[in-house]
Amino acid sequence: MSERPQSKPMSESDDTIYTPEDIRMQREAAKLEEPVKNATELARRLGLNPYPVNYWIVDYDEMNELIAYGGFQQRYPHWRWGMTYDRQQKQSQFLGGKAFEIVNNDNPSHAFLQVSNSLADQKAVITHVEAHADFFANNEWFALFSRDPNAAAQLASHADTVRNYMHDPEIDRGEVERFIDHILSLEDNIDQYRPYAPISVDGDENGPELAALEDQLDELNLSEEVKRQVFDEEWLESQAVDETDVTFPPEPESDILGFLRAYGKQYDADAEKAVEMEDWQKDILEILRREAYYFAPQKLTKVMNEGWASFWESLMMADENFADSQEFITYADHMSRVLGSPGLNPYSLGLQLWQYVENSENRRQVVEQLLCVTGITWRNFHEMVDFNEVLALLEPDDLVASVDTNRLDAIPADDPRIDYESLRAATDGNVDLDRYPWKLFTYEGLAERQYSLVKPQNRGYLSRISRDELERISRYMFDDEKYDTVAQAIDAVDYTVGWDRMRDIRASHNDITFLDEFLTQEFVDEQHYFTYEYARSAGDYRATSTDYRDVKKKLMLQFTNFGKPTIVVSDANYRNRNELLLEHQYNGVALDIGQARAVLERIFELWGRPVALRTIKKEFDDHDIEVARRRNKEPKPKEVGWEIRYTGDGFEEEEVEWSEVEQLAATDIDYDTKPEEWLA
Amino acid sequence: MGLKEDLERFREVGEERRQDLSEFIQYGDLSGGRPDQIRIPIKIVNLPEFAYEKRDMGGVGQGDGGTPQPGEPVGQPEPGDGDEDGDPGEESGEHEYYEMDPEEFAEELDEELGLDLDPKGKQVTEEIEGDFTDITRTGPTGTLDFERLFKEGLKRKLAMDFDEEYVKAALQIDGWGPDRVFEWARTEENIPVSRAWIVDAHEKLSAEERTQYESLAEMEATVEREPTPARIRREGVKDIPFRREDERYRYPEIIEEREKNVVVVNIRDVSGSMRQKKRELVERTFTPLDWYLQGKYDNAEFIYIAHDADAWEVEREDFFGIRSGGGTKISSAYELAKERLDEEYPWNEWNRYVFAAGDSENSSNDTSESVIPLMEEIDANLHAYVETQPAGNAINATHAEEVHNHFGDSENVAVAYVSNPEDVTDAIYEILSTEQNDE
Repeated sequence: MSERPQSKPMSESDDTIYTPEDIRMQREAAKLEEPVKNATELARRLGLNPYPVNYWIVDYDEMNELIAYGGFQQRYPHWRWGMTYDRQQKQSQFLGGKAFEIVNNDNPSHAFLQVSNSLADQKAVITHVEAHADFFANNEWFALFSRDPNAAAQLASHADTVRNYMHDPEIDRGEVERFIDHILSLEDNIDQYRPYAPISVDGDENGPELAALEDQLDELNLSEEVKRQVFDEEWLESQAVDETDVTFPPEPESDILGFLRAYGKQYDADAEKAVEMEDWQKDILEILRREAYYFAPQKLTKVMNEGWASFWESLMMADENFADSQEFITYADHMSRVLGSPGLNPYSLGLQLWQYVENSENRRQVVEQLLCVTGITWRNFHEMVDFNEVLALLEPDDLVASVDTNRLDAIPADDPRIDYESLRAATDGNVDLDRYPWKLFTYEGLAERQYSLVKPQNRGYLSRISRDELERISRYMFDDEKYDTVAQAIDAVDYTVGWDRMRDIRASHNDITFLDEFLTQEFVDEQHYFTYEYARSAGDYRATSTDYRDVKKKLMLQFTNFGKPTIVVSDANYRNRNELLLEHQYNGVALDIGQARAVLERIFELWGRPVALRTIKKEFDDHDIEVARRRNKEPKPKEVGWEIRYTGDGFEEEEVEWSEVEQLAATDIDYDTKPEEWLA
Repeated sequence: MGLKEDLERFREVGEERRQDLSEFIQYGDLSGGRPDQIRIPIKIVNLPEFAYEKRDMGGVGQGDGGTPQPGEPVGQPEPGDGDEDGDPGEESGEHEYYEMDPEEFAEELDEELGLDLDPKGKQVTEEIEGDFTDITRTGPTGTLDFERLFKEGLKRKLAMDFDEEYVKAALQIDGWGPDRVFEWARTEENIPVSRAWIVDAHEKLSAEERTQYESLAEMEATVEREPTPARIRREGVKDIPFRREDERYRYPEIIEEREKNVVVVNIRDVSGSMRQKKRELVERTFTPLDWYLQGKYDNAEFIYIAHDADAWEVEREDFFGIRSGGGTKISSAYELAKERLDEEYPWNEWNRYVFAAGDSENSSNDTSESVIPLMEEIDANLHAYVETQPAGNAINATHAEEVHNHFGDSENVAVAYVSNPEDVTDAIYEILSTEQNDE
């Protein structure tokens, strides 16, 4: 139920003078009214349940501004938006104007369409946006921030607050900018698995208010699955601050921003000591922390969310002919550019995984049915089953496969696949089924019409099932003689299981659990994924493995904790002098020490006293590298404990005893995919 | 919106963090720029963050059509695989660039080196409307760049076009219906044909025609698929899909007439003894000189001459990379330079700069008998010789010394020695300040 597209962004005042430009925008808005209405309707028929979306028509410059601002019209003043804008402009200048899709997580969502896009691109963007809005509204990780984020208004008010501080004659503008830079270095150092809880400016210094946390959790309406993953008993207990505990924080704290907001000070260079932060500093710190929490779910679900949108976009545009054939060519060209860009591309990885989920869920069910046919077992499956016969039986019924508007009266009554209201409207001439055949069908009808296993690109999928998987499926089957014939078995196939399952997954998973569960060897082989590592002995990057476990491992590394190392506050009274000790929870992958130093300098500004970081460093001996090279092996690094301390006017670095850092080293994971011998 | 302000702040921040100019000349990557646009890397615009060491992280790639075997080198990870590239320990790998035009570069270099070269003839005499060479997206119909519109349309056409006869032939295979052909065309042959077209074509075939070929193999043996360009050449083009977004309109370029111009002759020894290091030092010295002079004059032209025992003119792109095997005869290059200058760049109309570089090795007596007389003969604002000898002097490498001894502290001849990147800015100063003394 989206509103009609509008020609002016909402922040513009309602003036009555229309320029030719405005009129062009209004025309475009009018042209898109019908596609928007239809896309929403189609999305709902396909089982999606998006937030309502407000569409806005914007020009090229406005589009670039929106992209720079992360999809919003107002953000706090900062040079990095300018940087993104600059890059964006240069990119589109050299690479040609692409159709961008911008939609923000808000209820209602706001989406932006560029006035100069072709109609095909507009339609593609609209279908894509509807699927994103569905993801925002239904994925539970988004609930961690809020089900009603009121984001546009909140970010705009943040912008006003920061701007006011900058214009305040009592406050030095440059200082505000530097302060923001410091905080942004720690943007990802929050606890993204925890719901956002503000630390208010005038609150006392007892840390985050956690008392009502359990109630809060209940209000979030999370599924048991998510609760188990995140909010276990142990976690709840850990939230209770134990007054008698000697070390503080009692448990390592990964919300560094929150910790600094609660206990941080600033360094007063004249007094040469830590003093309380100014009110404006506390305020800005909390504002930026809140924004970090708001954007975290999007970072946590990038692969899923982009894949989800591409999946439904492609289904609506190509398979349900939402674009007419002329538009389709432009669309296909655009799509191939988006999905074909080199490197690991979240759009295509996500799309492929969702297609894989759809196919494998559909296949699982078909196979279950077939194994219930007398005489078919997992052992003789490939010999007994005639896959062409099965595929022919699975083909959608004529009733849903095509719509003959001259023979609407031949449609039988009481078929769950038919939307009889639409049928009546079509008979009365109010719905154009030639143009929109999908309007005749319910969710069940469309699921059969778009059944994945019989599509040309998936026809080999069923027969490719491995014996292992067959055995696994048959293990849980009791009645294996339910049907006499294959035809009876296929007749019982429910065409909606694939989509049903996909919606469940989109509700409860994030990128990490999604990849963990659905990345299989079959998928990795089919998509030619491989891992690579830097080989010290050869001095370049080498492919290392095509095993799905390795690929998964590397992908997990890239997606866990935003692809960043986990850094926690370990001791706020380090060296008994209120210094801050941070620890890097080492997972076998080394920290970028150069950047870490630069971050420590910034944390100093937010803590007011010296700041130290402990990590584990890998050291390579030149001699070892040489020996390894000769033996076609990789040199083994020596791991040593390392502490970097920034005192305010310099760095002190030293090796620390292994026993001091031993607890930081994870022993149960190994992200290294290098084989023992492999250079030959 | 406040974005204009953010953009200005970014430019300011970028300016503050721009790599120091002389550091850039000595060690920076000079190849990133175009002749008219110099890209100075900005040190850190991205804020630092806790990150993994890039190399230690490894990653996941996706093979294009096949999977590389373990052990195969895969090249540098594509940007976009992770957040950024760069060596571990660097404050931030991703470089942003601050772009400056040659004029700004010249100003900055003046400031940096304490120079102030005042080129002759920088007066604007008049403004005229030049050719219609600049383009915009809208304009009067008369100025529409039809050639471009046609070309873009043709590109689209090529992307959408297919060999109709070949697809029709597939429909004539016994037992193949539209569905089979569609699947075959899209998945096996990659032919961008629509299902509707196939159905249409199928209906037009008679029953007899539909069984003309027994199998795909027979069809393929009989009918040859004609590539799109060949077909278009044969049939000519009909129905070019013109699109509004391809339209460009020309508008006249405003040309300012200048009184004086500059021509720079860059001469480089490409003989066997000029190894990688020496070539790099030449590039490092000549490139900023080109930019500087380009920034100082409004119309700068460049001639690039490579020589071993013979000399020939080359394009800029090739100039710094060439290597040949032959001996060395520096005078051959001066002969060619003289010829080119006399032909096209009369001394009374042009400012002339003749820069040569090499490792000072020359065939015996060539310097004193031929090169020096030629240098005296060629009128120029400045002659310069840059000796690049990374390893110190070779015994018979005496060209620079001979030139220096002959001309002494002459007003228009400079000799500079560069043995490592640190010497580059000094050499540039030596060269450019020589002409300054002239005034």
